[in-house]
Amino acid sequence: MSRITIPIGPQHPALKEPISFLLTAQGERIVDSTLRIGYAHRGLERIFQSRNYAQNVRVVERVCGICSHVHTTAYCQGVEALLGLEVPPRALYIRTLLCEMERIHSHLLWLGVLAEHIGFTTVFMYAWRDREIVMDIMEELSGGRVAHGVNVIGGVRVDIDPEHAESILARLDELEGQIEVFLGVVLHERTFQIRTHAVGHLSAKEVRRYCVVGPVARASGVDVDLRRDAPYAAYDRLDVRVIVAHEGDVWARTMVRTMETVESLRLCRQLLTELPGGPLTARAPRRVPPGEVVSRCEAPRGELIYYIRSDGSERPARVKVRAPTLPSLATLPDQLQGVNTADVPTVLAGVDLCIACADR
Amino acid sequence: MNVELVLEILREHFPTDPLEPRLVPMDDTVVTLTPENLRPAVQTLIDRFDLRHLSTITGIDTGTEIELLYHFWDGEGLTLRTVLPREGSHIVTLIDLIPGAAFYEREVSEMLHVLFEGHPMPDPLLLPDDWEGEPPLRKEVP
Repeated sequence: MSRITIPIGPQHPALKEPISFLLTAQGERIVDSTLRIGYAHRGLERIFQSRNYAQNVRVVERVCGICSHVHTTAYCQGVEALLGLEVPPRALYIRTLLCEMERIHSHLLWLGVLAEHIGFTTVFMYAWRDREIVMDIMEELSGGRVAHGVNVIGGVRVDIDPEHAESILARLDELEGQIEVFLGVVLHERTFQIRTHAVGHLSAKEVRRYCVVGPVARASGVDVDLRRDAPYAAYDRLDVRVIVAHEGDVWARTMVRTMETVESLRLCRQLLTELPGGPLTARAPRRVPPGEVVSRCEAPRGELIYYIRSDGSERPARVKVRAPTLPSLATLPDQLQGVNTADVPTVLAGVDLCIACADR
Repeated sequence: MNVELVLEILREHFPTDPLEPRLVPMDDTVVTLTPENLRPAVQTLIDRFDLRHLSTITGIDTGTEIELLYHFWDGEGLTLRTVLPREGSHIVTLIDLIPGAAFYEREVSEMLHVLFEGHPMPDPLLLPDDWEGEPPLRKEVP
């Protein structure tokens, strides 16, 4: 049977961000694939070296359009560690609350994208509608839907009053009811299962070989989550339950992410009800003493790492960012091997790519 | 991962390397190795501790040399640091030990002009195919 080569991207209706795949198909089967990234590369690591530490918080926020808050969390806690700054507990709680809300809206966004790719438009519409509940809460808190500007070096710049906390709690309950509906679809809806079972399979061994992180790793049975394994912000005061599945396919990834959304809602409730009093920021000096730090956070897609080196001046000597999408991308040629052409969008959606994060 | 034990094993296997372990904030230990011993050290850590999670590789042009930092993680961080000369900087690839290193090495290669010997596909990762300027993270770039 003859082989044909199908280019997908960098601009393509099935892609939400620019990335390029070259797929070779024999009949309906994919027999080879290569990928090319870099179309959203903005040279941010170089830009970090020409801004001061405080200005960089706003640049860091623009690495990603979905998980912007966890990027500033990783960066700010790194700089705070270099400064030896003690961040007030109330600020850590609010920071963590936004991290969890971000996980909820990121996972719901992803569920919608996946549902659309498998032709399940109802779930796509409902997931994106219900995502607005948490987007509205984040907008009320921060004034922004995408760039929240909540983190500053030394704390946060937004507060939550008790009435507002009550109103948020009520809406989180409403959202939990909706997520149970999605969980029902994942567990019982046959259409959904046919399109996702055994698609985009990744074994635990492959996850380890490619250093894959986050929900993709957990869906292949690799029990790792930095919120529990290396707690940062207020996670040491929370009881984080890590969701692990063993099937290693797109269905397992859906299961893990949907269950994680429920877990995040529980953590949000705990954070809101136990919110300690006190100030929101600790005063941070402009100059950072010489040193280096490796700051890690569990972003919605997994381990996010910031390496920051200071030479004692007002600007960092080096800021290195590795977003969790990058290792997942490396597994795609393996995942696409032998899949049906119609399942390609499902495989691509399954790993939850965030190209802007990976390209920086 | 028991960092004390890791250091003991590294001292035993690479007695002439500087090591100079230093604890950096947020639970990470930086250990310095010579470029020739970096790959054998990674092999040792995989064999003895099953340490396979390479978070990323950071490359830094300090103005006088190129520093490479291999950030590993297993419960806490371990960063293997090595220093290369600025001219003709090269080091052996880790891809056959850790396939996940492929992207990280390509990025360091294009951003700082470090040659990773044995890399099967040393193409640019993020820069355009027709990029002709200096490697963007080199100090020569204004």
